[in-house]
Amino acid sequence: MDFKYLASKIGIDDEDFMELVELFITTTLSDLDKIKQGVAANHPEDAAAAAHSIKGAAGNMGFEAMSELAKKMEIQAKAGSLENFDAHILDLESQVNQLSTN
Amino acid sequence: MGNTQPYTVLVVDDNLVNLKLIEKSLSKEGYLIFSADNGPDARSIALDKLPDLILLDIEMPGENGFDVIKKLKDDAATNSIPVIFLTGVSEVDAKLKGFDLGAVDYITKPFHPLEVLARVRIHLKLSIATNSLIQDQAAKLRQVTKAQVAMMPLPEEHPHAKFGVYYKALQEAGGDFYDILNISDKITGYFVADSSGHDIETSYMTASVKALLAQNCTPVYSPAESMKMINDVLVEILPQGKYLTACYMHINRTTMKLTIINAGHPPVVCQPVQGDSFLIKSEGDVCGMFSDAHFGIETLKVSRGDRFFIYSDGLVESAEDKITWVSGADGLLPVYETLREVPYDRAPKEMISQLFGNNSCPEDDIVLLCIEV
Repeated sequence: MDFKYLASKIGIDDEDFMELVELFITTTLSDLDKIKQGVAANHPEDAAAAAHSIKGAAGNMGFEAMSELAKKMEIQAKAGSLENFDAHILDLESQVNQLSTN
Repeated sequence: MGNTQPYTVLVVDDNLVNLKLIEKSLSKEGYLIFSADNGPDARSIALDKLPDLILLDIEMPGENGFDVIKKLKDDAATNSIPVIFLTGVSEVDAKLKGFDLGAVDYITKPFHPLEVLARVRIHLKLSIATNSLIQDQAAKLRQVTKAQVAMMPLPEEHPHAKFGVYYKALQEAGGDFYDILNISDKITGYFVADSSGHDIETSYMTASVKALLAQNCTPVYSPAESMKMINDVLVEILPQGKYLTACYMHINRTTMKLTIINAGHPPVVCQPVQGDSFLIKSEGDVCGMFSDAHFGIETLKVSRGDRFFIYSDGLVESAEDKITWVSGADGLLPVYETLREVPYDRAPKEMISQLFGNNSCPEDDIVLLCIEV
């Protein structure tokens, strides 16, 4: 992922962007934990709230694939379904982890 | 919002990435940022720091953005702070609800920091312009207040009139006023009026009536004739629906004759040297509404040392306690009795102090004159 490009796209310098990426990783992993807990307890509304949080932050950072997947999960969870969430969670986790190796 | 102080923005979002992104974008442009990741903290910071603008996320766990703005708008300390909502692009109902609750704008998420900056700038500019307009208008109204107060004669300017006064306007342009008319060395007119409004028109009315009194309260006319002429002119010049209640008291200290013309005004209190205080009740039409108005007229012989109190309804009425002057005036008679030993020039302030305490705020404008024969 081209962080330099994303930083210039949202109008902040590279150093600040890297700081935000680190914060994003921490925050999103925490949100993913909340989604997992929502799935385990079969509380779709909790999973939807955490997915909503990831959707917004990822969108603001320019991580469009993550934002789109989180949006799909939010819509689905708001409709009461947690189907395939385990796979979605793994997918999101993988994308987040890629950020730290970028 | 001074020139040297940075503008302050409170950013509220439960996602720390969004908070940090906005903070970085705005702070590098010179704004001082406060941040909160939940509703109660946001309200607490808003109250403590009184930021120039608030960026508020709607969807937050617990107290959401709607709850926060509702509480901010309900609090006089924070209700004028412009609030911009952060909301998802598809949430039309949420945007409308945000506007209904008093938000000035919204920013859709995901947002671009430069858009956030642009909207913050435009709403701060609007806020500055609005505040400047308010300050400007307040300054002009203060001038009106000064002009209106300057029109009220002071006791030391009319020592022979032997009166004391308490005058308090609740708003910039008060609805009550009074005047003292030196008709001759031994004849003095005392005029107290309450107009139906507390606005700018009212302050012009004060000037107009003062001029009419000067023209018409002369030795040539009887008190009733003076009031009729003033009424006829006011009927012509007052805006529709505006009127005065008024009391014109005329004392001839040579003949010791007193005349009261009452135009829908609360009754004058007579406090004779000998005997208990009583109300001089006389019914009459209000002034400035009807060209064929009939005013209450009372005449009586007075003695040296007799006192009279003329006042506006703010003294005896209370909307909170549902007291009208019809019942309120009677209820105050014992209070006047306690003022017998107080010099007439200090009696009005003493009366107000007894009724309202030294620091409490009356519900309406008040004028109270104490006149000694």
